[in-house]
Amino acid sequence: MAKTLYIDYQKCTGCRLCELVCAVFHDGISNPARSRIKVMKWESEGLYIPMSCQQCQDAPCMNVCPVKAISRDEELGRIVVDYDVCIGCRACVAACPFGAMNFNAKDKQVFKCDLCDGDPQCVRFCEVKAIEYLEVDDMSIYKKRDAATRISVAGKEAVALQAAM
Amino acid sequence: MTVEKEGLSTAESLRKARTYGKFRCHNPTCMERIQPEKGKKTAKCPTCGMEYRVHWVNPNLPRIRGPVWDVNRKLAEAKLKEMGVK
Amino acid sequence: MPLDRKIAYIDLTTGDIQTKPIPLDVRKKFLGGRGLDAYLLYNHTEKGCDPLGPKNTLMVSGGILTATCASATARTQIMANSPLTGLLGSANMGGFFAPEMAWAGFHHLVIKGKAKHPVYIYIHNGEIEIRDARDIWGKPVTDAQWAIRDDLGDQEVKSCVCGPAGENLVRFANVMTGIKNSGGRSGMGCVMGSKNLKGVAVRGTMDIKIARPTEALEYNKRFIDQIVSAKVNQTQGVLGTPFIWGATNSWGGIRCRNFQYNQCEYADDIEPERIDEICEETMGPYHMTGCFGCQVHCRAQYKIPEGPYAGVYDEGPEYTSQGAFGGETDTPRAITVLTGNHLVDKFGMDNLETGSLISWAMELYELGIITSKETDGLDLRFGNDDAVIEMIERICYRKGWLGDALADGGIAASEKIGKHSFDYLIQVKGMSNLHSDERATPALALNIATGSRGSDHLRSRPAIDLYHLPEEVLRKIYGNPVSYDGPLSSEHTEYIGKPWQVFWQENCYMGVDCLGICKYHTTFLGATLPNFEDWSKVIYYNTGLEMTPEEIWEVARRCNMIERLFNLREGLTRDDLKKGDMLNHRYFDEPCRRGAIDVVGKMIDKKKFIKMIDEFYEHKGLDQKGVPKPETLEVLGLENEPSHLV
Repeated sequence: MAKTLYIDYQKCTGCRLCELVCAVFHDGISNPARSRIKVMKWESEGLYIPMSCQQCQDAPCMNVCPVKAISRDEELGRIVVDYDVCIGCRACVAACPFGAMNFNAKDKQVFKCDLCDGDPQCVRFCEVKAIEYLEVDDMSIYKKRDAATRISVAGKEAVALQAAM
Repeated sequence: MTVEKEGLSTAESLRKARTYGKFRCHNPTCMERIQPEKGKKTAKCPTCGMEYRVHWVNPNLPRIRGPVWDVNRKLAEAKLKEMGVK
Repeated sequence: MPLDRKIAYIDLTTGDIQTKPIPLDVRKKFLGGRGLDAYLLYNHTEKGCDPLGPKNTLMVSGGILTATCASATARTQIMANSPLTGLLGSANMGGFFAPEMAWAGFHHLVIKGKAKHPVYIYIHNGEIEIRDARDIWGKPVTDAQWAIRDDLGDQEVKSCVCGPAGENLVRFANVMTGIKNSGGRSGMGCVMGSKNLKGVAVRGTMDIKIARPTEALEYNKRFIDQIVSAKVNQTQGVLGTPFIWGATNSWGGIRCRNFQYNQCEYADDIEPERIDEICEETMGPYHMTGCFGCQVHCRAQYKIPEGPYAGVYDEGPEYTSQGAFGGETDTPRAITVLTGNHLVDKFGMDNLETGSLISWAMELYELGIITSKETDGLDLRFGNDDAVIEMIERICYRKGWLGDALADGGIAASEKIGKHSFDYLIQVKGMSNLHSDERATPALALNIATGSRGSDHLRSRPAIDLYHLPEEVLRKIYGNPVSYDGPLSSEHTEYIGKPWQVFWQENCYMGVDCLGICKYHTTFLGATLPNFEDWSKVIYYNTGLEMTPEEIWEVARRCNMIERLFNLREGLTRDDLKKGDMLNHRYFDEPCRRGAIDVVGKMIDKKKFIKMIDEFYEHKGLDQKGVPKPETLEVLGLENEPSHLV
C-alpha cells in the first residue's frame, strides 16, 4: 500500500531543516526557495505549519494541466510531473489549493514533492517526528489514538477534580 | 586528504563512555555516581550524605533538580561554623 | 569553487555601498564569522575611535558554513568597538537571520558612518538599499520587525533590529532578531542606535552551492545523530537552557544577592521543571522551538501567566534570565523571571548586564551607599520583585537618576556613585559577570577573567570541567588536534592544567563562531560533541575548502590573537581592574557561603590564580604583560597587521 507524508504541525519546532535537506537532496544546492516543503510561520504566536503536497486523489494540478504532463504514480502514491511533456505554463501552480506546486525561475520549471522516491528526507531528518511517512489507510488510526488519549486524559482529570471537590 | 579518513572522530568515539540512568553527586570532592531508583523523586548520596530532589527528563534520564533545601542549609551552616566563617 | 561569498561595505553617512568577493586566502586565514569580523574590525576602525561615533564600524556576519547543509548554522555574529567597555564588542545570536542574509547574497556586512535620520538596510537577492525608518524608530523589538515586513510587503523578510534601549544609547543594548534571539553583551544594539540604524532586513532566494551534496547530506545526518544523542542536548530539548541554571544552582555556582551568596535557596519556583510546567500550561505539550536547522530545540515558548503582562507571548526564558531576574536579585519567582525576560526582549537590552547591575544597585542600597534619593523613592532591597521590574524599564528609558546612571554601564555608574561602589561591582573589562559564581571553580574563574569581550562564559569556559571526567578522557579531548602532555586534573576545584583547558576552549569556541554554528553543537556542555576533527569534514563536504583539524586550530588561534591585538590597541593592560584580565577582589576575599558541602568556604587563591594567568599567556604565546611575543605573531602570520586584505 502507498505511503504518504503525515504532518503533525503541533510537533513542529519551526527549524526548517526539512526545507534545507529537501533542496540539497533534489538540487544539490542550499536554498529554501528550491524546497518542496515549506514551514509557514506565525512567529508572534509561536505557530509553525509545514506545508507540502497532499498527493491528492483527484488532483487539481493534474486536472488543469493542458498537456497532460502530470500523472499519478500508483506504486508510490504520488503525483509526478513529466518534464519531457511539461510546457512550463504554471497552470498547476495556480490551481493547487495548498500552494504545493512551485515554479523555479532559474531552471524555468515547476517542481513538487516526489516523496524522494520512497525515502523522504524531510522525514529522515525530523527528529521531533512532526513529519512521518505512513501508510495512507493507517493515518486515521493515528489520529483516533491521539484524540482518544486526549479524551481519556480529560476523563481522568474530571474524575480527579470531582474527587478533590 | 585527511578529511576523508574513515572511522570515528575522537568526539564520536567518546560516545561509548556515556552512562545512562545515573548522575554524579554535586559535591565536588565526592562526585560519586548515584543511581536513583527508577521514577523516584529523591536520592541520597551514599558517600557524602548530600540529599537531592530528582527529576526524570525521560524514563532513562534522571537529573538532579536541586538539593533538599533544609538539609542543604544545615550542612552549609555546620561547615561554615566548623571553618569559623562568620 | 562553491565558496563564492560576498562582503558588503555600507557607509550610512554618504549612502555609498560597495560589494566585494571574499578572497580565498582570507578565508583560509580567518574562515569567516567572528574570526573574519575581528580581522575586519582591526582593519576598519582607527585606534581610540569613539564607540558611539560615526567612525566605529559595525560588522554583521554569518560563518563559513552559514546556509550550507551543516547542522544549526543559525548564528549571526555582530562586532564593533564596544560602547560598554571601549574594548572588543562582540555578540552572537541564533534565529534565522544569518542564513537568510546568505541567501540574499552576503555573508559579511561592514557598516560605517551615521545616517541623518533613522534608516534600515534592506538586502534582497544581491541588492542593497537604505530605507527610511522614521516610522519604525521607537518601536519595540518585535513590533519593529513586523513593521519592516509591512513596509516591504513581504512576510518572509527576516530582520535584526535594535530596540528602544539601543535608540536610547543604553550601553548594553542588544541587536535582536525574531521574538527573543539576542545578540547580547557589550552593547552592539547601542552602536546600531548611535548610527541611526534601526535594523537590517534580509530576504533571499539565491543559491548557496554545496561542494559535495550527497556527502554533505549524509554527514549532516551523522553529525545530528552525534548532537541529539548527547544527554545534555536531550535535557536541553525538554527543559531548555534553564536546566543549566538549575544544575549550577544546585551545587552552588550561582550568584545570589549580587555576590553575597553562591546559591539561590528555595528557588523551586524558577527551577527548570517549574518553568517547563508554565510553558506547558500556556503553550501545550509541544512548546519547544529552535533556530534554523537545529534539532536541539532548546528554546521554550510561554505566555506570561499573570500580572500586568498576563497572556503576552514570549520565548525563553534562558538560563541567563533566571540568573538575572531570579537569582542575583534574590527574587526566585517565576512571574518575575518571565516578566523580566519579556521586558528585556521587548526593549532589546542585555538581560545579564541588566540583572547584574540591578543586583549590584540593590547591594549598594542595602549598604546605604545609595539611598532612596538616588532611587527616586524606589525600595531597592533584595527580594523586591516589583523593584526589579521597575528598574528594567527605568534603565531602558533612562528614567530617574539611577536608571540613567546604570544605563551607562557599571564602571561609569560606579564613578558617578563613588563611595567604594566599584568594589562591589562584579565585572571584568567593564562588562558585568553573568549570573554564575566561579569561586569554587578556578578554571571558570580564569575563563571569565581573560575573555576577550569582558567577563563572559561563551569565550573560553571549560564547562565540562565540572563533570569529573577521567583523566584519559580529558587527554583525548584536550590533546586534539594539537598534542598536549602537560598536567590535567579531573578535579574542578584544582588549578592544575586548567590554563590549557581554557586555552583549548578559547580556540574551540572561536572555531564554532567562525563556522557559524551553535556552541551547543561542540565541546561546551557535552564532552562527546563534535569539534576540530569533525569540522574539517563538514567544511570540506559543504564548501570544498580543505582544512585539516590542525589548520582550523591555527585559524582559531590567529583570530583570538587579532581580538587580543584589538584589545591591546584600545588600552587593555594585564592587571587593570577596569580594562584588564583581573577579577574583583571578592573572588579572593569572600568565601562561598552555600552550596554542596565542599563548595562551602571555597574562594580563589590569588597566588595560584595569577600563576594560572601566566601559564595561560604562555600557551597563547603572550609575554608576562599579556602582549604577543614577536615570534607568536610571525607564526600566526599577523606581524604586519593591519594588512588590509579585505
